Amino acid sequence: MPGIPSDSSSLIPFALEGSSQPPPVYPLQHGLRAPIHRIHISWSRGNLLNVTCLRPPPDQQEEMAREDDGIGGKAIEVLLGGAILEGNIGEHKRRRIAYESVKSYAFLHDKKISLAKMETGDNLSAPALTYWWQYTLEYSKSIRDILGNARLHRPLIEDPKNFLKPEEVEQPIGTKAAWELMEIFYVDMQLLSWLPERLVDWLEGYDSLLSKTETVHSKLAILQRKVTSMRVVEDEPGYWNGLAAALAVGWLDVVAKLLRLHGSYDPDQFDKRETENGLVEAVVLLVSEMPRMRPNLPNGKLGICYQTKHDYIKGLEKWRVKVSGLESSPFWVHCNHRPTRDGLINLLHILLGDAKHIADATSHWLELFISHLLYIRPLTNGLEGMGNLAEKCMNLKPSANNGLTSLLAGILSENPEIVLADCLKAFGPWIVAHAVDLLTANSEYTDGLLNEERYQLGGASIGELYMLVYAQALASHPLTWQVAPAYLSTCLNQGRGLLEILLLRQPVQNYRVVLKTLEICHLYELGNISTHIMKMAGMYQWKHGHKGLGIYWFQQSRDRTRLSQIAHKLFDNIGKSLSDDSFKQWEGLMELLGSDVGIAGGLEFLHKYREFKRSLQQIVNGGTVEAAKKSTELLVQLMRNPSTPQRFWLPLLLDSVKLLEWRSGPLLGVSETNLLLGKLQELSMAKLRPDFHGGELKPNALGDVRLALAKNLGRAILEES
Amino acid sequence: MADSGDRRRFIYNLHEQSKPVGAVRWLPSVSPFLRLAAMSVLSPPAIEIHSFSSQSPNPNPDLNLVSSYPLPSSATSLTSFKSHNYTLIAASTSTGSLHIFSVNPYDGKIESQIISISDKDSFHCGPIQSIDVETSSTGECATAGEDGRVNLVLIGEDKVENFRVCESDGLVAYSAVKWGSPVEFVTGGVGPGLQWWDKRRPGGPVAQFKGVWGRGTVTGMIHSIDIHPSRKHTCVVGGSSGAVYAWDLRWQQQAITLAGTGLEAKSQPFSESEVWEVKYDAFTPQVSSTKVLPVMMCSEDGFLAVLQQDERPVQLLEEPCAINSFDIDPQNPSDVIVALEWESVGILSRGREETEMA
Repeated sequence: MPGIPSDSSSLIPFALEGSSQPPPVYPLQHGLRAPIHRIHISWSRGNLLNVTCLRPPPDQQEEMAREDDGIGGKAIEVLLGGAILEGNIGEHKRRRIAYESVKSYAFLHDKKISLAKMETGDNLSAPALTYWWQYTLEYSKSIRDILGNARLHRPLIEDPKNFLKPEEVEQPIGTKAAWELMEIFYVDMQLLSWLPERLVDWLEGYDSLLSKTETVHSKLAILQRKVTSMRVVEDEPGYWNGLAAALAVGWLDVVAKLLRLHGSYDPDQFDKRETENGLVEAVVLLVSEMPRMRPNLPNGKLGICYQTKHDYIKGLEKWRVKVSGLESSPFWVHCNHRPTRDGLINLLHILLGDAKHIADATSHWLELFISHLLYIRPLTNGLEGMGNLAEKCMNLKPSANNGLTSLLAGILSENPEIVLADCLKAFGPWIVAHAVDLLTANSEYTDGLLNEERYQLGGASIGELYMLVYAQALASHPLTWQVAPAYLSTCLNQGRGLLEILLLRQPVQNYRVVLKTLEICHLYELGNISTHIMKMAGMYQWKHGHKGLGIYWFQQSRDRTRLSQIAHKLFDNIGKSLSDDSFKQWEGLMELLGSDVGIAGGLEFLHKYREFKRSLQQIVNGGTVEAAKKSTELLVQLMRNPSTPQRFWLPLLLDSVKLLEWRSGPLLGVSETNLLLGKLQELSMAKLRPDFHGGELKPNALGDVRLALAKNLGRAILEES
Repeated sequence: MADSGDRRRFIYNLHEQSKPVGAVRWLPSVSPFLRLAAMSVLSPPAIEIHSFSSQSPNPNPDLNLVSSYPLPSSATSLTSFKSHNYTLIAASTSTGSLHIFSVNPYDGKIESQIISISDKDSFHCGPIQSIDVETSSTGECATAGEDGRVNLVLIGEDKVENFRVCESDGLVAYSAVKWGSPVEFVTGGVGPGLQWWDKRRPGGPVAQFKGVWGRGTVTGMIHSIDIHPSRKHTCVVGGSSGAVYAWDLRWQQQAITLAGTGLEAKSQPFSESEVWEVKYDAFTPQVSSTKVLPVMMCSEDGFLAVLQQDERPVQLLEEPCAINSFDIDPQNPSDVIVALEWESVGILSRGREETEMA
C-alpha cells in the first residue's frame, strides 16, 4: 500500500465526508531525515501494524556525499487500539488469561445448553432462572481468580509503621477492576442491598488505578514512604491529610493504624498528654465502631455490621450521637497540640458527613462519590440515585476520566451498549466477550438487547459480534488460535463459517500441526473441513517429494481422483524403464497405494511383468529353448490374467514378436496364438474409442504384431497337425 | 471408563513458561536436592535447562532457568543421556540438524557443544522427527526423518561419522526410532507400520509389522516407540486414534492392544486422539510377568494415564489442553514431568503408598 506521505512525519487516517469531528492525528517517530519517499503499511499479528518508511534512493553523487547516514529506511511497529490501562499486562499474561478463561466460559455455556434442553418441556421454569445467576456468579468468580489472585505475603511480625496494604505480588490490573465492577452491578443479586459497601471495598482494591498522582492511594503511598523518617508525626500536615483522605473513602483499618502512630501514645515523654491521648483513642474507638450496612467484614477490617436496614438506622443514629457528643466535648480545650485538635475534629466532621470536609479530603470524583455513599447517603439504592450522585461528584471534582471511571458512569446510566463499548475501548476484546454473560445474567431486557439478531449485523447479535471480535483476536496469534473455536462454536450465525475458514487457514507443512487441526475438526464435527485439510496436506507433501506422507493423506481423505491419477502416472512410467532402483520405487509406491489403486492388478501384475521382462532380456542376449519356453509361459499368463491393465497389452504383444520369431520352431500353440490374436483384435477396436491410452508406439506397430501372429499361427497349425 | 487416579497421593505443580514448550526430559541428577530438566522451547527456538529444588520447604518449588542452548529452528525431538560421566543432551530440529551438547550435572550450565550436523545431502533434508541414543555400548545416535532417511551418527573420540541406513526417497516418512539393543533398532512411520532393523544385516528391515488400525480401513501414524531394556523383543507403540499397542518380535503377526480403537474392536477406546508419547512406567507395579509391562501415555486431548494389559487405564491427569510430551525420571520413577500445550510445564510426584499397597 504505497502512499504519498505528508510533510510532517505523521500518518493521517482517511476521514469520511461530512464527519463532524476532525480526524485524529497520531505522530509516529521514525527518526529518518526528510524527505520520505514511500510508506508501506501492512498488518502484522493482532493489532500490530508494520509501517515501513523509505527515503528516496540516493543519487550517485549524493551517495558519495553522505556516506555517513546510510539509513535508507526504517520499519516501525505500531500497536493500534492498545488498552490504555493495560500497559502492564505482558503478551504472555494475556495469553495465559485467554487459556484459563476458556474453561470457565465453556463450562458456563455447557450449563446454558443443558438448561435450555431441560426447559423445552415447560417454557422457562422459574427455578432454572433463579439458579442461572448463581452459575454466572461462579463463572464470574473463576474469571476473577484467573485475572490474578491478591496473594498477600503477610509478614509474621507486623511493623506498626506499615499502615498501607503490603505490596501485592501483582499490581492490580484494570481488567480485573472492570470485571469486578460489572460483577457487583450485574450478577450478584444477594449483594444489591449493600451495594455502597461493595463499592467501598472495590475502591480499596483499585484506587491506585484511577489516576497516577491524584488519589487517596497516592497520598498515602507518599506518607508511607515518609512516615519512617518522621519523628513527630502529628506535627506534619501530610499525616492529618492522609488520615482525612483514608477516612473519607472508608479505609478504617488504615485510619486506626495511623492514629496509633500519634506521639501521645509514646510511653517516654515529658509533657502531660493524657487528655490528648484520650481524645485520639476516642476517635479510634468511634472509627472502629462505625456502623456498616453489610453482612460481614473481612479479617482486620473495622466497623460493626448490620444485616437489616432497620437495625442499621438505629445503630447509625446511636453512633452519630456519640460522634457529635465527642465533637462538642469540653476536653478539646485541654488539648494543647493544635494540629491534633484540628485534625481530629476534621475527622469527626467527616464521620458526621460534612460535605465540605469530605470534598476537601478526597481527590478524585469517584472517591468523593464513594465517601458520599459512606457518610452522607448510605442508603442509596438503585442506579438512578447513584447516577445522579455520580454526576454531582463529577461536577464538583472534574478529574480526567479513564476506562474505569467511564465504565462506572456507563453502568450507572443503565446503558449496556455503552458499557460494552467502553470496555472494548479501554480493556480490549477479551473482557467484552466474557462480560456479555454478566450483563445478561439478571436482566431480560439486556438479554434481549444483546442477543437479539440484527439484520444490519448480518443476522448476528451484538453479543455475538463481540464474541467474533475476540475470536478474531485469538485466531490472529499462532499460539492462541486453538482457543478460538470454543468461542466461535457459540456464535450461532457467523461462528461456523469463520471456524471453517480458521481451520482451513492453518498451515499443513508439519503433520503434527495438521493432526492437531484435525482433532478440532473432529471435536466440532466438521468432517468435510477435515477432508479438505487432509487433501491440502497431501498435495503439499506430494509436491515436496514425501510420497508416502502424501499418499497417506490422500487415503485418509479418500481422494480417489488423486490416487488414481497417481496410479496412472505410475503405470505410465513402468513401461519406460526397468532398472532396479526405479523398480524399488514403484514397488514401494504400489505397496503404499495398496487396494486403493484405481487400476486392477497392482503389485501382483508388477512382479509378473518384471519377471517376464527379465527372461525376455536373457533370450535376446542368446538364451536356451527352455528359457524361451518359460518366457512364453509368462507372457501367456500375463495375457490371460484379467488384472493385466489394457494399456500393457500392446507393449506385451510387441515384446512377444521376439518370441514369435523364434528360429527353432513355434513357441506358442494354436490356442495361445488365438488368445493373443483376440487381444489384438480387442485392442484395435479399443483404439477407436476416445479414451484409449495408446502410449508412444510406432504407427505400424499393430500391423507388425498381426503379421507375426499370423505367421506363428500358420506354423503352429502345421506343427500340431 | 478410566479410573481416575487417587489424587490425594499426588503432588502436582504447574509452572507457567510464557513460551511454548515442545518436549521435556529429566536430566540425570547428582544431588538429591537439586533436580534438572531440559525442555525445548519456541520463540526463539532453544533447549532450556531448568533446575528446581526438590527438598525445599516450599511445597510449590519454582523452576529456574539455568542455561539455554539456541537452535536454528524448532526442536522436534529431545533426549538426555549419560556417557563417560558426562550429562549429554541431544536434540533434532525441523530443518534437519542434530545437536548434542554436554551439561554440567551439578548446576545445569551448558559446558560444550559436541555435535552440530546439518547437511541436506549426506544427512537429512526436512524435519528429523525422532532421535534415540544407544547408551549401553556404542553411543550411536539414530535419527529418523520425514524425508524417509534413517541415519546413524557415531560419536567418536575426535571425529563424527554418520552413515545412512535407509533412503526411501520419500516413500516412507519416519516419525519414531528406538534402540532395542546395541545393534538393533525399531523405526515407525506413516503407512507401513513398524520396521525392525539390524545393523549386522544391512539392506533393509529384518522384520516388519503392518499395523492397520482405525477400524481397519486406514493405516495410522506412529508417534512414539519404547523398548524396555529387560524385554528387548517387545516394543510398545503410541499413535493415531488413541492407539497404544505392544508388538512382540516373536509373534510378529499379532500385536497386543493396550488402548485405542485398536487392532481388534473389542477394547473400549480410552482416548480417541493422538497419543504423542509412550514410555514404560517403572513405578506402577507389574501385575503378571507374562503380560506387557505398565505403560504411560500422554495424548492430544489432555490425558496422562498408565495402561496395563487387560486392565482399566489409570488416569493421572486430565488437562484442558494437549499434553505434548512427558518424561519419567529414571532415577525417581515416581516423578513425571509433562509439557502442556498452553505454555506450561507440570511436575507430578506420585506418592510411595501405592507401591506398598500393591
